[in-house]
Amino acid sequence: MDESTDAAVIAASIDDPSCFSELFDRHARVIFRYLVRRVGPDADDLLGEVFRVAFERRESYDSCRPDAAPWLYGIATRVVSKQRRSEGRRIKAMARYAAQRAGAEDMAERVAASTDASDDWSRVADAVADLPSAEWDTLLLYVWEELSYEQIAAALDIPVGTVRSRLNRARARLRDTSLPSERMGS
Amino acid sequence: MSDELEPLRQLRPDNVLPADPGDPTVLSRQKEQLMSTIAHEPETTLQLPDIYPRVAYNDEFAALDYLVSVFGFTELREARMEHEWDGRTQMHAWVRMGAGVVMISHANHDVHRIYSPSELGNTTAIFHVKVHDIDSQYAKAVAQGADVTMELEDAFYGERRYEATDLEGHRWHFAESHDAIRARGGEVPDDPQGGKP
Repeated sequence: MDESTDAAVIAASIDDPSCFSELFDRHARVIFRYLVRRVGPDADDLLGEVFRVAFERRESYDSCRPDAAPWLYGIATRVVSKQRRSEGRRIKAMARYAAQRAGAEDMAERVAASTDASDDWSRVADAVADLPSAEWDTLLLYVWEELSYEQIAAALDIPVGTVRSRLNRARARLRDTSLPSERMGS
Repeated sequence: MSDELEPLRQLRPDNVLPADPGDPTVLSRQKEQLMSTIAHEPETTLQLPDIYPRVAYNDEFAALDYLVSVFGFTELREARMEHEWDGRTQMHAWVRMGAGVVMISHANHDVHRIYSPSELGNTTAIFHVKVHDIDSQYAKAVAQGADVTMELEDAFYGERRYEATDLEGHRWHFAESHDAIRARGGEVPDDPQGGKP
């Protein structure tokens, strides 16, 4: 089964559900990493949920798509989207950690700089913390998961043009926060 | 990646937090639970309807493959019966779409007197099949080489439909109501005149 496409594995699992474990083996690690990035420790149980939903929907999988990763990303995105509010808190917490770390790493520069690093990071977090879910999902699939526009379009079941316009809106928001470039190293 | 998005990439939790090896057993534990849930899933077989047709083919194995791969029927695999008859293996199989079922069998001239349309040159029934998302079902069928005998169109009575024949000439009429198309976010003409969608 190693050589077969995901589409073939999913098709085989319609009659023989045990084949579905192959799909898990191929994608669970990456999907789990995505869930952990978005929701932290809650990811453990959500991982099983993502693959259960995928299993239930396996008959409607578009067999023209050999790689099932975008499909699974789409399901994972819908599964975590209920937690949008806590994700906003989470990204702000990340900004605080990032500021602490930056502070510890180049204390001398920070002293020389006129502003505190924590202001910069919290401005980034504030800019995205309350993005509408659709834009947030698109942004993370692109920036954190490094999916292509086409893969994001397949995952979220939207036209590629919509992916582009959502990312442009997010870029515009972040552009306004304009971190000083010397702070962006590390 | 453009610069505006770079700060957000740096805020990705695994870039911010110390490397966390995590619980190495999560994947295997979740996989075990998943496969156990799947194994205990209620049977996907549906009860056979009180009426369903038995459809005759000279090569019922090829017919079954075709119905599944081209039209997207699902075989009720556990129902299949194979037996030796007339020096060859014959098969009874059941395939479903939604809540409907047809039985696939070998043409039987002696007992039941049912023939394949390929022997008769005609057929005496058309199978109406309601499908979900007829646009993609149609596209897949065409991509798989379906023999379309009536092009996809929006019929005046509020359905999008097309017709195709299978390997031996049975006629399959696939349709989805305009209401269902709207419900899944598709577009339908206000005043369908039988034109192409």
